[in-house]
Amino acid sequence: MARKPRRGRTAVPTPRTAVRLRVNGAWRELVLGRDVEPSMTLAYLLKERLGLTGLKVSCDEGACGACTVLLDGRAVLSCMMLAVEADGHEVVTIEGLPPDDPVVEAFARQCEPGHGTALQCGYCTPGFVLTARALLDDNPRPTVAEIKEALSGNLCRCGCYSGIVQAVVHASERIEGGAR
Amino acid sequence: MTTPFKPRRARRFIGGYRPRIDGLEKATGRALYADDVATKHRFPDMLYAKVLRSPHAHARIRGLDLSAAEALPGVKGILTYEDPEVARLRPTSAGWTDGVDTVSYDRMMWKRYCDRRVLSDHVCWVGDEAGVVVAAESEAIAEEALRLITVDWEVLPFVLDPFEAMRPGAPLVHPEISADNILPADPVGGADVFLDKGDVDRAFRDADVVVEGTSVYHNANQGTLENWCCLAKWDDDVLSVWSNSYEADQTRMHISQMLELPLHRVRVICNYVGGQFGRNDTGDQPFFLFTALLAKRTGRPVKFKHTRREAFHDSRQPAIYTGKLGARSDGTITAAYFKAIGNTGAYADHSMFALKFAPAEVAEVCFAHIPNVKLEAYGVYTNKLPACMMRGVGNSQLNLVLGHVVDLLADRLEMDPIDLAVKNFGHEWETLPDESLAAVLHEGARRIGWNEKRRKMAPEGALRRGVGFSFHPGWHAEWQELRRGQIQVAMRLNPDGTVALEAPTVETGPGSNTCNVLGCAEALGYLGIRPEDVKWISTVDTDKSLKDTVQTDSAVSFLQSEVMADAARELKQKVLAVAAPRLGVEPDDLDIIDGHIFPKDSPDQGVDFREVLWQGDLVPIAVLVSRKPAAERTGVPYLATFAEVEVDTSTGQVRVTKLVVLNDCGTVMYASGAEAQQIGGQCAGIGESLTEEIVYDAATGVPLNFNWIDYKIPTMADMPDIEPVLLEVWRGAGEYGACGIGESVLTCTPRAILNAVHDAIGVRIDEIPVTPEKVLRALGEI
Repeated sequence: MARKPRRGRTAVPTPRTAVRLRVNGAWRELVLGRDVEPSMTLAYLLKERLGLTGLKVSCDEGACGACTVLLDGRAVLSCMMLAVEADGHEVVTIEGLPPDDPVVEAFARQCEPGHGTALQCGYCTPGFVLTARALLDDNPRPTVAEIKEALSGNLCRCGCYSGIVQAVVHASERIEGGAR
Repeated sequence: MTTPFKPRRARRFIGGYRPRIDGLEKATGRALYADDVATKHRFPDMLYAKVLRSPHAHARIRGLDLSAAEALPGVKGILTYEDPEVARLRPTSAGWTDGVDTVSYDRMMWKRYCDRRVLSDHVCWVGDEAGVVVAAESEAIAEEALRLITVDWEVLPFVLDPFEAMRPGAPLVHPEISADNILPADPVGGADVFLDKGDVDRAFRDADVVVEGTSVYHNANQGTLENWCCLAKWDDDVLSVWSNSYEADQTRMHISQMLELPLHRVRVICNYVGGQFGRNDTGDQPFFLFTALLAKRTGRPVKFKHTRREAFHDSRQPAIYTGKLGARSDGTITAAYFKAIGNTGAYADHSMFALKFAPAEVAEVCFAHIPNVKLEAYGVYTNKLPACMMRGVGNSQLNLVLGHVVDLLADRLEMDPIDLAVKNFGHEWETLPDESLAAVLHEGARRIGWNEKRRKMAPEGALRRGVGFSFHPGWHAEWQELRRGQIQVAMRLNPDGTVALEAPTVETGPGSNTCNVLGCAEALGYLGIRPEDVKWISTVDTDKSLKDTVQTDSAVSFLQSEVMADAARELKQKVLAVAAPRLGVEPDDLDIIDGHIFPKDSPDQGVDFREVLWQGDLVPIAVLVSRKPAAERTGVPYLATFAEVEVDTSTGQVRVTKLVVLNDCGTVMYASGAEAQQIGGQCAGIGESLTEEIVYDAATGVPLNFNWIDYKIPTMADMPDIEPVLLEVWRGAGEYGACGIGESVLTCTPRAILNAVHDAIGVRIDEIPVTPEKVLRALGEI
């Protein structure tokens, strides 16, 4: 994090030349002006510059949740955050979850009768998976009402909401079961 | 609780509940979409294109000063309407086909409505692509360059309302096409009165009961999460285009015809697409052309992508309907009349598909037993966002009035509307009642508790509860898909018994890729093949693929599987021909069951087919079948939605508490996918009914809510309990005799909700979305 000058001092902060952030476990040093611009969003950096294309940008103004990533374990909208704000933080994109992650698998496998699948076109899916992952890390046994509340910032125009709730319930059961 | 669907005929794989074949690919973020391919990471020398958007509802460009933009570092190319490669392009439309087939320029569907110029100097709505496009090193530079362009605008008078647009003296949007803003009659859509059977005027005079109602359907947006995107790249004289159009072959034809390039010099590549819902039914987009021309001019790959705001690019066709039914006192409907006024917006595109083509199809399979029927429609140019295709094209709008007048008539006759519907509606090849219609309505009534709840739910404080339904004929049976021409599939059986399936279709979400794999494994049941043994190829590449079966009309779930049944029979003969010499028997004397090849006269002496194929040259056995869909006219199955609502009469808030969505599918190809359609369609169904609507500033024509904060798409927290019900009553032609349902699942939702609101509060509301304001006004509270 950039250090704030103390009140009352006139010293100018040392100009920063790079931003360091940990992306999916690996520290990345990005040169300001070359790899990253002050106005660049975190979403743009991750997708366009680092090639993490599992990240989807849809509305680009914080209304759909498609670009959700984990920042220090919390779900954040990467389109609403500047890349430089991630300096010193740990970022996890969908590529950072293992394919056997219980949430990933639950979304992929959902076919329980009466609820449909948990995805169709798949464009919102990485955002939903990461938001659900953050929810379950925080609250491993959420109620259906808590799931709906936590995921209501994400849009799925294919409307797989019922299947998504089931997937999160199943992931929760597996995480809880495995923890015991 | 939901009862899982049980197929009427047990099959190995078709009709089952199972995960999607692309579930893991999508949940891990590995599935590639156009925007994931078109990155600097992959194409380091890629440029970004941005097109100027009109700030005026109606205007002409008198001149451009590009000097400041040209001087901006990072600007690599600017193309305007004055450049020769743009100026020579023929006028076009964004409605060359009804979505399913490939046609040449001369055979485009709405030939009379070539109202679009590529990069035109004439703009017709706020947001229209206007005369100049810039390619730059970054999107930000391209946007800045557009800001630096000085445009000398000749601002023209505009009109937003279709009734005003029809008045003499109204501003004309496309005077070269219409002198009164009304779209002229067209060979495809027909005359203004496009169906006139019997004598409706006389029948209404003679009827015991006549009811009349109106309904207003607004211009919802498809709201796909993935925005339009393409990347154009030239290698010498070959143009490659990566796109998220769902129609690779059509896109190739469009580009080839408009840029006058031979087909083999245009290559279109489509992989996964983030939603369709009719948005891509305007695949004949000018931006493909100017992006390609910019790439040519700059000698670099050029990417064009809509922002979310630009993705409000077309909408559902709004329609103001008048409907009238006449009947005898026993409930026999003798006359039906429907008239639509459609706000076409700035360009005709597929307006007439929604206003004429689709209703004509409905009349054929729903009004066949009504002796006097008249249908009339007017598409009217205005200076709004162009109206076009959206899931349930034309049918949703017609259903809003159909379900209205049926409910009105039942009230007048003091009949249950279910009985009235079953008594009157069905297709011409059968006697009434239509079994499929009766099945969806009676099952829906049972599931919602119709008899116990209708007109019977007690008020609770300010809360009123009600139930309602609407029904509609399906419209994607195989005989209705003939316009597609040949459907192509290929199978390659590897010597180890696995299969490479080529059933090209761009997967936009509905899961027809899973249907295709299930269909392939089902058809190859004689080999004992499982879905896991089949590889489906997700990328459609016009250089390498067969013609893609266009992902629309919700019909790809079965169209390719029907052809696979033929391909599997052909493959069987080839397998036997390969096996025969190796087994020392004539092919005719062999058979295969469950992967076991055996002489017909001694079934116990066989061997596993893999053992036989794992000999000799190990060349895969390939078949390619290309044939038209079956033409047998089998009618269509029916669908219905039942809704239960709660209306707060103190606030006007309508809450949908339950939806039962019923579809007779003929054959359910993939139960999890079909239920996902039934449930998922309600995101738009509920949204269009309650919250979604594009709003304009009347003084300027500026759309006010081209974003997902003010244009309210339902979230998980907004959705009611939805019960999906799959039925197999009707049967079409072929091995499966299925009918697509993906488009229709939301067709009945708005009317079911409106009828339930009437049941709850005793007042009818004619217009969606049903906002609290409309409810309070209907109740006389404001």
